[in-house]
Amino acid sequence: MDKIRIFYADFLDSLTDGERATLRAFFTDFDQYFDTSSSERRRFREDFEMAIIALHSRGVPVEEITERLALSNLGGYYARPSVLWFPLDNSAKIYPISMDHGTQNLFRISVYFKEDILPEVMQIALTFTVKRFPAFATSLKKGVFWHYLDSVKCRFSLTEEHDVPCQPIKVSISGSSSFRLLYYKNRVSAEFFHVLTDGTGGTVFIKALAAEYLRLMGVKVSSTEGHDLWNINDTPTRDEFENAFERIERTKGSSGFIDRPATQMNGKLSVRRPCRILHLKMPTDALLSAARSYGATVTVYLLTLMFLAASAATDELSGELSIQVPVNMRKFYETRTVRNFAMYCGIRMAISDIGDKEDMVRAITSQLEQKASKESMQEMISASVKLVSALRCIPLAIKQPVARRVCGFLGEKIFSTTLSNLGVVTLPEELSEHIESMDFCLGAPEHNRLACAAISFGGVTTFSITKNTPDPTFEEKMLSLLSEDGIETRVEGSEFYER
Amino acid sequence: MNVNITYPPIKRGSFLRRRLLRILRWPFILAAIACVVINVCIGGVVWSPIAIVGLFAVWKMVLSPDLVDYNRTSQFIKTVVYILILLAMIELLIVPGWAAFVIPIVGFTGVAIGGVLFFTDMETQKHNMLPLVLFLVFAIIGSTIGLTLWHEKNFWPFIVLDSVSVLLLLALIIVLGGDFLRELKRRFHIK
Repeated sequence: MDKIRIFYADFLDSLTDGERATLRAFFTDFDQYFDTSSSERRRFREDFEMAIIALHSRGVPVEEITERLALSNLGGYYARPSVLWFPLDNSAKIYPISMDHGTQNLFRISVYFKEDILPEVMQIALTFTVKRFPAFATSLKKGVFWHYLDSVKCRFSLTEEHDVPCQPIKVSISGSSSFRLLYYKNRVSAEFFHVLTDGTGGTVFIKALAAEYLRLMGVKVSSTEGHDLWNINDTPTRDEFENAFERIERTKGSSGFIDRPATQMNGKLSVRRPCRILHLKMPTDALLSAARSYGATVTVYLLTLMFLAASAATDELSGELSIQVPVNMRKFYETRTVRNFAMYCGIRMAISDIGDKEDMVRAITSQLEQKASKESMQEMISASVKLVSALRCIPLAIKQPVARRVCGFLGEKIFSTTLSNLGVVTLPEELSEHIESMDFCLGAPEHNRLACAAISFGGVTTFSITKNTPDPTFEEKMLSLLSEDGIETRVEGSEFYER
Repeated sequence: MNVNITYPPIKRGSFLRRRLLRILRWPFILAAIACVVINVCIGGVVWSPIAIVGLFAVWKMVLSPDLVDYNRTSQFIKTVVYILILLAMIELLIVPGWAAFVIPIVGFTGVAIGGVLFFTDMETQKHNMLPLVLFLVFAIIGSTIGLTLWHEKNFWPFIVLDSVSVLLLLALIIVLGGDFLRELKRRFHIK
């Protein structure tokens, strides 16, 4: 008998006859919920046993534990063989083609609870939640013409964090998933390979996971209305996993993705990427009022500060800095999809024009209004749809090497950095009071020195910087600019990994 | 700048394939160039293309393996294909007259081992069957052409390769049933 079996047997011995009978009844039909290999089924069973012990040690009565962990929450998902598959959406098609060893487009969303996480309970929350997201419970496969996502029904595991954040996910092995779930102290983090979803979809997932974890911990929620919180026991529908790009009407004009190379920050590129993650945490109210004082939105205000900080982090005296800004297409087209549904635009500014904040705000606002407009995005989508359609019958073996080189030359070099702002995330009050904050960060870029992302939750805005250079100029300048505008900021993050 | 460290310390000295590839790329390129230069300078048989394909095979199979679909079926089939290409090149460039006999033997050995690797872990490998199916199709076409070209000689290896490939393909179709068609539909989608 292995350690867990002995541990569980000892735990059973400590219970009353009635409690033991309740648990025996709980596991009576266990096997019928899993059409998996016997070893996989045993691991699922051990997950439940460990969760029972963890909850019991917190004083939860056995009867209530079995109610919270009810196997009906599995919904027969693991009892059926996997038959689903998903072609990649238009924007995801480029990610597996352009990835290389050590380079992968991914992002990470974390939730910080007010108490340390019980990993045994979080594992069950993951097992219950993943069934609601069938397009996430998949493995990336290579077709003759395109990659696709193949459904896998296996145990997705929660692991303790002990590596550099946002490391490429190993998607090569049979049945390997394209996301990972990590925990460390009071934080749970989901890292997604971009083929699966975008920031909005990732947020829907992590919110559902956090809500399920808190339910298992005994938190009751009266209403979820207005919070886009998915009930994990609802049946997934087609529109939640559609390729929403296909619904967009094509325009006659189509704008390309090609632009002039942008000036890069000068810091030396690190060997380990990212070499540091920093979170600048600030009160949302203060940020909002600072932005308003310049007549700007939060995104425009952050872009303004980023241009100032980026110009300080480069020795170039001429040229243009360019910041890539993802645009959530859901604000233009109503859809429930949690697959990728975002495009991007590039906000450019000559280094010589960087200086006066008011002028910069006006210029950025005007560029953003024009470049992130529905019409511009529609043109870009039209271009992407035409490109995908033109390439659809060319074997992957031919288009992959070409695409990889084109992406290497043009993809990232037309930008100096990125700002992805997920906006304000909300949860019902009963859940929010158990959550301290959230953060969102992007994976390490290939050529850019850093990438930035922002998210607001519970009155705290977290501006995260994924760094590829030891040069501290950018973050120090950002801090001083925020402080100049009266925004008190505290800095959290990782150690510098290359030391 | 005061940073409150909220991430765990990481394991030091972890393997960075990206760095290794960046370092090893140049010795590989230099070795390939050196092969050509030495071959041209010394003269004699043209062996440098074989050495270059060998270097490429080592690079793709060992140092820079597939990022998607890295599994025993695909890796084994790839290995067999590289061996077959190298054998064909040796026949063409160095010692002619034996490959039409040896290549089908290597081919049907590959088919047989591929079949064993597939059927001993069918539940997982059924999602990885495409390389095997393509290999079988090419083996059938190749052996049929071989039999047509050399039918007057005693080239039994082609007959064995043809029959083993057809049988294995039929076995795959029968055993996998609907899964076979579903898998092909996914692999050949153009959506």
